[in-house]
This record gives sequence, structure tokens and C-alpha cells, in this order.
Amino acid sequence: MPLTRQRRFVTPGPDETVEELALRALPGEPLEAAVDRIKSWNLHIFAMRKPAGLLLGSDVVFVEPPVG
Amino acid sequence: MFDVIVKGGLVVDGTGAPAFTGDVAVKDGRIAAVGKVEGEARQVVDAAGRVVAPGFIDPHTHFDVQLLWDGAARPALEHGVTTIVPGNCSLSLAPLKAADRRRVVGMFQQIEEMPPEAFTTAFEWSWEDFAGYVAAIRKGLSINVAPLVGHSVIRLWVMGNASQERAATPDEIAAMQDLLRECLDAGAVGLSTSFVDVDENGRPVPSRFAQFEELDALCAVLGEYGRMLQCVPEFYATDITIARIDQLAELSLKHNIPTTFSPLFDTAAVPDNAPRAIARVEEHFARGARVWPQMQTRPIDISFSLLRPSLFFARLPRWVRILRQPLDERLAALRDPETADKMVADLGPDGGEQMMGRLVVRGGDAAPSELVGKTLSEIAAARGEVPARALINLSLEHGLDVAFLSASQGHQLTDRIGPMLAHPLVHIGASDGGAHLASFATYGDTGYLFSEFVRKGRYLSLEKAVAKVTSETADIWGLKDRGRLAEGLAADIVVFDADNIDRGAELPSFDMPGDGMRYVRAARGVDTVLVNGEVAYSSGAYTQSRSGVICA
Repeated sequence: MPLTRQRRFVTPGPDETVEELALRALPGEPLEAAVDRIKSWNLHIFAMRKPAGLLLGSDVVFVEPPVG
Repeated sequence: MFDVIVKGGLVVDGTGAPAFTGDVAVKDGRIAAVGKVEGEARQVVDAAGRVVAPGFIDPHTHFDVQLLWDGAARPALEHGVTTIVPGNCSLSLAPLKAADRRRVVGMFQQIEEMPPEAFTTAFEWSWEDFAGYVAAIRKGLSINVAPLVGHSVIRLWVMGNASQERAATPDEIAAMQDLLRECLDAGAVGLSTSFVDVDENGRPVPSRFAQFEELDALCAVLGEYGRMLQCVPEFYATDITIARIDQLAELSLKHNIPTTFSPLFDTAAVPDNAPRAIARVEEHFARGARVWPQMQTRPIDISFSLLRPSLFFARLPRWVRILRQPLDERLAALRDPETADKMVADLGPDGGEQMMGRLVVRGGDAAPSELVGKTLSEIAAARGEVPARALINLSLEHGLDVAFLSASQGHQLTDRIGPMLAHPLVHIGASDGGAHLASFATYGDTGYLFSEFVRKGRYLSLEKAVAKVTSETADIWGLKDRGRLAEGLAADIVVFDADNIDRGAELPSFDMPGDGMRYVRAARGVDTVLVNGEVAYSSGAYTQSRSGVICA
């Protein structure tokens, strides 16, 4: 039975920065725009967490907006 | 000659099969016969008019420390619970080096709201490894224990301070695998991990610093033993919960292990949260994965006073910081007008009306009797204050000993939750037994299952409800010896009144070490509880039996 499509995500690599993750997850996009997108789709990391933006190895990082 | 015959009861054998009138005989700690039993016994338990069922199994508890001075995990046992699973959410008390004890105690205090005295006055630390912890609790058990080992403590043992700083190296992962094997050999029934918790300094717990590859390596070890992975996901966000379900499914399929996540809440704020998660679980089960969502039966009620920190304030960092100070400093902060102004401002322009207005004064403490039962909104209006200010000032006027109840914060809609509890893939659990001591009672969820969802709502039959918390739980966790009334299995038996079994009122109790307070609920309608063939609780009293075991 095929799985229904859900929101795509990646997990950070060791010591990976948000810039490196954004380039990996959104190749071809300008870096600044890619980082902004990643941040806007992951408020649990970049807004709700203290310190904001601390990337953890176990994090779920969404690479697209919520699936309509 | 049998040791015990439980005679003439309505036998609900845990399989979901129709109940029948009969007897259950016990010999040498095992069930010797079920049905019409002939013969004599040293002890006869009259079960006429009562249900005779397998002892209930609670798969999500934090009784790790309480078991060191209370082998019955009171009051869990009197509710008919004969087996508990401690060590959830990445935290266990072993393996733990002496130098790291304070650090892990801090995590237990922060995450599970346990008082420091529970770790300093009631027992002597005599162990570091998992086998040592098991030996320390084994001698006093009157309830069965199926312990998990925590990912955070395994990581801490291997990596020290770096466990809360970075990814593990291949050598460190290999060392964690070896340590996990050692714990499983010593009696652990699986591994727990956490994706959400922080320590007393607000730092993510060690398990959260693990790459997926580390968890995968540990699950490879679980696969060698066929053991459980438990995790606490980001339950406040559905998309993340579903991502975690997908990860668990991947691990389950790859290593052929059962996995479970807890809690899964139903919430009016996000009504599709639980249904979406369950639908995703259905998809994965259809592929052969085992991802069991644990759902609690009780609504979310939170009580608190300003005498101690509470998860009620979890989203108010300033309040958390102040309430965690020693009493003198806390009082000084609350009395300081500038600080109090900032605390009130934290609640926003409504002064806390939305968050605090519906709080109710509980009573039974220093609260003026005329305020008991009134809402903070009413009290604030009478005082000419906003709710947050009224909460601070009223507390200060009575030595902070005024308890407030925030009732039904979520997970309270019986007509939504009943069908979910009855769902074949929903695992009834997540009681958090033994944790959150000053916020709510984590005991009696099974009584509430029968009173609210069997008798009142009729969402589950008596037989199905019993099966959910006995045989189905035993099967999910691989507890082969328990969960059914069948010849040869361990004689864990509960005798209860189907018309009256329930949880009692939530009351403060000062029975923790250092006269520490916790909220408890006594059992109603439970007559007798046998653990491995011995009567451990009867007619409202605990016996001297110590027949509990570490079970696998």
C-alpha cells in the first residue's frame, strides 16, 4: 500500500549550519532566499526554540510548506 | 491443593472473548486452571458479583525513583495495575555514573516535576549500571516492573558533557550499542528517546543531539533482542508528529522492532491532529511496520500553586525562572513591584484573562474558603485587578499556599476520544504514572477507562476494554507471560466491580519524601489485586506481599 504524500523533511547533518542545510535541501535557490524559506517553514526551531535556530541532530526540518 | 482460588466471578480473560462465570485457580505464582475449578485452596477469594480479569499493564510511567522506596508504586497497584513500564522519555536512573547523578536528577525535576527530596532523602544510591539499579528495586517489589533504558543516560554515560553538545563519533555509537546490549541483558525491555525535552537549564536533553544514524544504530541492537523503541514526539505539531511516525516506521521495518510514541492528544485547537496521526499509523501498519500511538484516557487537568514550579507556566519563561528560585528569593521577586509588573505584562494586553481567567481556586490549603470554587476571573474582578496580578497577590497574601485548577485543558471530549481508544491500532497508555506530582494525579486512568468509556459512553465493551489494557499491551511489548487469564501464565489478577470501578477525586497527599506533596486519586471499585499469585491489595489495604518481579 503506497503512503500518502506528507510534508517533506530532512534531518541536519553533523555540525551542519542552516545555510549548508538550505543549500542541500533547496539546491538552485539563492542562499538568502533558501535560508529564509527554511526558517519560515520551521518555526519550531527558528522561533519557538531557545536559543532560536539551534539545530539539533534529531531535528525534523521541513523543506516545503504545509501540504495543502 | 491450590494456593488461591478466585471463586465465582465474571471471568474476563483478557483476550476480548465474552465473559463467563467461573473460577481462577493459582498455584506457585501461575494460573493453574480457569473455568469450573474443583479442589481445595489455602486461600479463597470470593468474587461473586465481581469481574475477574488479568492485571492491568501501564506502558508509560516514571516510577523509576519511587520504586526505590515504594515497591507497590502506590497508588497504581490499588487501581489494578500489576505491571508498569518506567524509564520513558529518554530518562532512566541507570546506567548512570555517580558524577552524573545530579545532572539526571535535574532532568527528572524539570521534565517530570519531581521534588529534589525524592532523590536525596529516601534511598542510597548503590548502583551505576543497569543491573545494579534492577537489583536495588527488585528486593522490595510488590508490582511487576518492565523497565526501559533511557537514550539520554546512555549517551551521557558514553559522551559525558559532549552528549549535550554534538553528534556522536562512530566509536561512541559503538560504545552506546554495547551499553544498550548490557542493559537489555540486565532486564531492560527497550529503549526510550525524546525529541522534545529540556533539562533544568533549558538545554535540550542528550537524546536530542543524536543524528538519526545514531538512533538507527541503537535500533539495530533492539532488533537483536526484538525490543521496543519508545519516543516522545513534538506532540504539539501534527506535521512533526507525522514525520516522527515515518521515522519510527522506517526503524520498525528495518530492524523488525515494535515502536511506540506517547502522548497522542486530541485537542479542540487542532481537531485533525489525532485523526491524521492515526491515519498515518494505519498506512504504516499496512506496510508491516509497528508504530503504536499511546493515548491516555483522562482529560488534561493541571493544578498548581506558586509554591513550586509547574508546567502550567511552560510558555512563560520569566515565571518559570522565578518559580524555580528558592522560596525566599521567589517571595522577594514576587513582592518586587517591577518584577511583578513584568510578569503581568508577559500575559499580554488582557492581563491573563484568556490564559488564567478560568482557573478555579481548589481549596484544602491556605485559600480563603469563600474563594474556593470561584474562578480567577471572578476573583480578579472583585479585587479590581487583572487575573495575573490577582494570582500573584492572592498567593502572596497566603504564603503562596493557594492552589489553582486549570481543568480540561484538552483531551476532554469523550465522544471524540472514545472511538479513538477503541481503534485497534491505538495503544491505551501515556499515564505518566509517578510524574508531574504537583500538577495532576497520574493514577486511575484505567478506572476512568471503565467509568467514562465503557459504562457511560459505551465506546468499548467490558471485554474489549480489559483486552486493551492487558493482552494487547502485553503483546505490543512482548510480555509473553502476562495479560491473559490462561493456564500456565503468571497469576496477575484483578477483581473489580464493573458497576463501580472508577478513579477517585484528585486530592493532595503529603506522602513523598520530605513530606513532599503530590496529587493522587484513590481507586474505587477494585476489591483484590494479585501479583504473581499473591494477594498484594485487598479490601482497601496493601498487604506485606513482595511478589513483584522484573519481567521481560
